[in-house]
This record gives sequence, C-alpha cells and structure tokens, in this order.
Amino acid sequence: MGKTPSLLILSILDSGVSAIRLMGSLVVIYLGLGWKVRKARRAFEKELIRIGMSKEDAQRIGAQYASLKDNAVKAIKRSIAGFRF
Amino acid sequence: MSEKPEKKKTAAEEAEEVKQILSAVSTEVPALIKSIISAVFSEEAGKNMGRAAAAFYKELKDSGMPDNVAVKMTENYIGVFTSLGDLLKGAGGKKGQIIINAGKGKEIGEEIERRIKEKLAEKKAEAEEEEE
Repeated sequence: MGKTPSLLILSILDSGVSAIRLMGSLVVIYLGLGWKVRKARRAFEKELIRIGMSKEDAQRIGAQYASLKDNAVKAIKRSIAGFRF
Repeated sequence: MSEKPEKKKTAAEEAEEVKQILSAVSTEVPALIKSIISAVFSEEAGKNMGRAAAAFYKELKDSGMPDNVAVKMTENYIGVFTSLGDLLKGAGGKKGQIIINAGKGKEIGEEIERRIKEKLAEKKAEAEEEEE
C-alpha cells in the first residue's frame, strides 16, 4: 500500500535535489564569470597596448568587450523570464 | 475503487520521469554553459580578440587614419562581436523560447536531445536492474 506514495515522495525529493544542484551550479558559474571576464579583458587590453594604442583607449575598448558579459546575462535572464512550461 | 491505485501509479511514473529529466539536465546544462563561457571568456579568447582588434587598428593607422577615428572604428569593430543581445533577440521566439533553425544551432539542439535521451536510457536501465 505504501510503496507507490513513498516512490512518489522519493521522486519528488530527488527532483528537488537535482533542481537545487542545477541552481547551485548556475550560481557558481555566474560567480566565476566575473573573474573570467576580468582575465580575458586584461589579455585583450594588453594586446592593444602592445600594438601602440594608448592605455585609456585600450581600456575603453576593453570595457566594450566586457559588456558582452552583461549582454549575455541579460539575454539569459530574458529567456528565463519568458520561459513557459 | 480499482482506478485509484492506477492513477497514483501514473503520478509516480510521471514524478520518476521528471526526476530523470531533471537529473540529466542538472548535469548537462551547467557543462554546456561552462564550455560556452570558456569559449568566449578565457585568457586565450581575450588574447585572440585583442590580436584581431590590434591588427584592425594597425591597418587603419598604417593607411593614414587619424588616431581618434581609428580608435572609434576599432570600438565599433569590437561592438559587432559583442552585440550578442541583438543576435539572441533575433534568434529568440515570441515567448523567450530559442528557435533553433540554423545549421549549427540545429546541431547543438540535436546533440542536447541525444545526450538527454542517452542519460534517460541509462537511468531507466539502472532502475530496471535495481528492481530485478
């Protein structure tokens, strides 16, 4: 008698664990993203400065490159907000 | 009377299916996002994009373009790569669903579908073995 309800509860609990794991992974990815962007931006600016561009101009163009992160995050947020099951 | 247990079994099966899908998604989706991010935001990717922008800027300077114009044009050049939001807006459906219709997008969609199916089949086989 109690086998099916307990299976159902177990499945729901497992689903909850998977959902929490997914959210956790996404949070970790989001937190690590800023660091990765900073590193990539520094490498990007270094290349521009190496060719003879002034530091200020390189930083301005570097900021444009870093804005790719904001665009990507915005796009993901928009798609999550508009998602319907 | 006899319908009640059958309904409960269906609910349990559905919950089991949702569990399997979530379990597959929770491992596959973060891996997919991680690989996309590292393709765009890594030291190597930044260096490569910097090299491309530097080559563009140098070409403009060598052809006699004033510095401020060359910088502005380089900024616009990088802006083309970074306008990902507009790109996704064009690819997205009306309700925020991404329509995968172009060659590479279709391949990615098929790959995700294939992997989820594989994971589900694995989980099902494991569950069957456990039951036996």
